[in-house]
Amino acid sequence: MMPLTMCKAGEENEIKKIGGKEETRRHLENLGFVVGGKVAVISETDGNMIVNVKEARVAIGKDMANKIMI
Amino acid sequence: MAVKIALAGNPNCGKTTLFNALTGSNQFVGNWPGVTVEKKEGRLKGHKDVTIMDLPGIYSLSPYTLEEVVARNYLVADRPDAIINIVDGTNIERNLYLSTQIMELGIPVIMAVNMMDIVAKNGDVIHIDKLSQKLGCEVVEISALKGTGITKAAEKAVALAHQKKKVTPAHAFASEVEDIIAKVEDKISSDIPQEQKRFFAIKLLEKDDKISELLSLMPDVSAEIRELEDHFDDDTESIITNERYVYISSIIGECLTKAKKGEKLSTSDKIDRFVTNRFFALPIFALVMFIVYYVSITTVGGFLTDWTNDTLFGEWIVPGARTLLENIHCAGWLTGLVVDGIISGVGAVLGFVPQMLVLFIFLAFLESCGYMSRIAFIMDRIFRKFGLSGKSFIPMLIGSGCGVPGVMASRTIENDRDRKMTIMTTTFVPCGAKLPIIALIAGAFFHNSGWVAWSAYFVGVAAIICSGIILKKTKMFAGDPAPFVMELPAYHWPTVGNVLRSMWERGWSFIKKAGTIILLSTIVLWFLMNFGWSNGTFGMLDFDGLEGAALEAAQAECVLAKVGSAIAWIFAPLGWTKAGNGWKMAVAAVSGLIAKENVVATFGQLFGFAEVAEDGSEIWKSLSLVMTPVAAYGFLVFNLLCAPCFAAMGAIKREMNNVKWFWFAIGYQCILAYIVSLCIYQIGTLITVGTFGVGTVVAFLLIIGFIYLLFRPYKESNTLNFDAKKTVSAK
Repeated sequence: MMPLTMCKAGEENEIKKIGGKEETRRHLENLGFVVGGKVAVISETDGNMIVNVKEARVAIGKDMANKIMI
Repeated sequence: MAVKIALAGNPNCGKTTLFNALTGSNQFVGNWPGVTVEKKEGRLKGHKDVTIMDLPGIYSLSPYTLEEVVARNYLVADRPDAIINIVDGTNIERNLYLSTQIMELGIPVIMAVNMMDIVAKNGDVIHIDKLSQKLGCEVVEISALKGTGITKAAEKAVALAHQKKKVTPAHAFASEVEDIIAKVEDKISSDIPQEQKRFFAIKLLEKDDKISELLSLMPDVSAEIRELEDHFDDDTESIITNERYVYISSIIGECLTKAKKGEKLSTSDKIDRFVTNRFFALPIFALVMFIVYYVSITTVGGFLTDWTNDTLFGEWIVPGARTLLENIHCAGWLTGLVVDGIISGVGAVLGFVPQMLVLFIFLAFLESCGYMSRIAFIMDRIFRKFGLSGKSFIPMLIGSGCGVPGVMASRTIENDRDRKMTIMTTTFVPCGAKLPIIALIAGAFFHNSGWVAWSAYFVGVAAIICSGIILKKTKMFAGDPAPFVMELPAYHWPTVGNVLRSMWERGWSFIKKAGTIILLSTIVLWFLMNFGWSNGTFGMLDFDGLEGAALEAAQAECVLAKVGSAIAWIFAPLGWTKAGNGWKMAVAAVSGLIAKENVVATFGQLFGFAEVAEDGSEIWKSLSLVMTPVAAYGFLVFNLLCAPCFAAMGAIKREMNNVKWFWFAIGYQCILAYIVSLCIYQIGTLITVGTFGVGTVVAFLLIIGFIYLLFRPYKESNTLNFDAKKTVSAK
């Protein structure tokens, strides 16, 4: 298991675990980040990333990306 | 029978586009999540008794941000007769997650799969018959933008609303979960209709704390929650979320046939790789901003404004109106009121409309092409250092057009603390109405040089950054901003109609303002200025034939001068005193609280813009006689930073939703404006003239204090956590 920030652009991975505050986690789940779901990195800048989750493009900051484990 | 139909769906799935098409209204459509922050009502075209309600976009019925609360409260508490659930066909899997929740409300639902034109272009096929069967509602294919299928969707929704059929969802979770939901349903008191029980049962299991307000009897479901959590080794909320996605995954294969894609990246992704690139992101952003403001303020907009001010008003309208009124032998005072009062006051403001229109075109373009949410993402890296979130940048950018929508756009910021800070600082950005003040000061004191306008934006941004740092270190705002999470819509070309409509809507509100508030205040000001105590009796003052010092002495007798002088001492340390004209500056700044354009309108009257109408820039000369350039720059900065106009203050009050916070915001803005303006004048005067006095010492002390606040060690305090739920219930 490693944080999403370690992932390179273009790779697709399965989400293993989502950390962080309950509220934020719930928001991520509503946006399509669920354990077992796929996430692909579109672009990455200093750990801030744009990812493809269930065909939606979501921008997430470094702090959050660090809490998503793949 | 009157029926209400609500439009519900994910952010940016086309609800407002559909709303406009169905009702014929002109609500602004943008391409970023959170354009609609308040629900909007309209009548369905051709059906007088059908109300359509446009709701802000939501990702689920468990709200995260304020605008999501608005939508959920409407759906759950007001219960519309039918819901049109709009689903973005290009991103159907994620959109269906909300649909499964909407189906549980027990309200008749029509699913409108939107953006079918793009789905077809991509070569994908959505099997609506399957979708309808699996989710238990009628499904129609539409394209809100092209207008296809929308009448069918609306008619079906109206028919459903009239039928008043009881609806139950077709989807089901794993049997263990279903058993427990059934158990909880049995515990819910019988005053809740059967079809709504599933919704309440799930909300009870999810431990939703707002649900108690809707239930008369709160059943104890802790045993069921424990049973579920033990079985799945997870919390109930995640279990149910997961069950929804599992159900969707199980049906998506039958409902959607995807065309084989050769390329992995879409055009939008390619653009994103470039514009959010580590090296190019900021230069590209800076270039875009530079083009927007350079074109609208300096070149095209400036040219149009000069022409309107100097030629249209200066050479044609003002002398024309005077000649006309004199030819019809109108009473002298009435000619004065119309020409010197109304036309010069309102005209001074209207002159800036072209400049604003150009700026509004750019802003509308930025909002509707999809770059807006990227800006938030790019700026997040930087804003995070000042204690603000990247999402704070959207309100500020919109605020450069007008502060009212800017302040309202802060609703999309999920963290209460970040949002309050954004509301307080958004109006530091020069809005369209402050442009006239900038142009006036630049023209009168600095040979129209471009740096004045640029520095005004710089001062605004610096004020935001410094406020962010300073406020962050206070107990009230301690803590980190919420992590950045934002959906990025695909880029698309804005339609010309949408951009022009938005430009016109916003521009028109300025013109309307000139015709109402500003017209009224110029009339009041004219009377206050032309009546006074002459030789001990109250009456109309006669300024005819007076010039220079004699004119000023006569003017000092008017009511306005008396009132102005009473408050002018407050502004004396800012250098608004030269030649006994301090009251004019004080009056202008105070009238700016009504509307910022008023500052220029007031100067137009006080210094007799119309008297010297052959040369529109004549007001510059009179103005340059009463202030030193340093004081004038301080005056400009004061007006940029102090409390905004009444309309924007109203927006701040609404969004803060708390009297104490409202006054704190207004007080902070005014005090900051006063201090910065004082420092500019005192230290500027020391440098240019060499005057050193008490004021200079005060200024230096203030600067030292300011630097201390900026750099003092930052003690992390985690004791104060804003309770988002509490704010939600207050709304």
